[in-house]
Amino acid sequence: MKARRDVYQAIADPTRRAIINMIATEPHNVNAIAQKFDITRQAISLHIQILIDCGLIAVKQQGRDRLCEAQLDQLSEVSMWVDQYRQHFEKKLDAMETYIEKLKKERDGKHNK
Amino acid sequence: MENTTSNTTDREIFISRTINAPVALVWEVWTKPEHIANWWGPDGFTNTITVMDVQPGGQWNLVMHSPDGTDYQNKSVFKEVVPHKKIVLQHFNPNFTATIQFEEQGDKTHLNWHMLFESEEVFMAVVKAHKADEGLKQNVEKLVAYLQGLK
Repeated sequence: MKARRDVYQAIADPTRRAIINMIATEPHNVNAIAQKFDITRQAISLHIQILIDCGLIAVKQQGRDRLCEAQLDQLSEVSMWVDQYRQHFEKKLDAMETYIEKLKKERDGKHNK
Repeated sequence: MENTTSNTTDREIFISRTINAPVALVWEVWTKPEHIANWWGPDGFTNTITVMDVQPGGQWNLVMHSPDGTDYQNKSVFKEVVPHKKIVLQHFNPNFTATIQFEEQGDKTHLNWHMLFESEEVFMAVVKAHKADEGLKQNVEKLVAYLQGLK
């Protein structure tokens, strides 16, 4: 069974988001990342592996260091879904406007009678 | 290494619109259960409003009934109510604060609607739930059509 690996999986965890934030501005090696967190090196490695699998991190070998670089293109997929969610609320306002128009008509009708 | 700044852009939604109706009417359709039941909630859904006590500390409980028979409980508490101007409510599970501001513009009303989620996790979970619901968009469109058909 293959675990789900997509951008949502990548950002679902606060530690992984913190890692992305950290390397977004400049690449860090795995040790530097591990030092910043209060969890085991093993756990950090796992998070990094998930981020790699999800395509949000690329690893470059630089001498003895494994340098983690952020690949942020995929995050646009998230903003697309956020926009769609916003559309949901826009639709709510559409429904409200339609309802108001109906109400106005009903009330005008009553006044005219 | 969590971001400690007050930047909330990753967990908020802001929409605004000018409504072709006086503020008294827009306020009425937002605050009277018999009106809001007619337009709130996604399409094909019906709403039962069990409590709607529009005052600070007052509760707003509603049940959205989906076309497949599933009921969704919605619970909120009104935090701030300024007639014809502002409603602030705290929604629970998912936790977010909604602020709705009404600006009178002659016989029109400008509406600002801001939703701030408690955390990015909550926000993304909600966004993902919407992603999962492929039929959502069509459903909302159907609701609009239904409302238009009502006389």
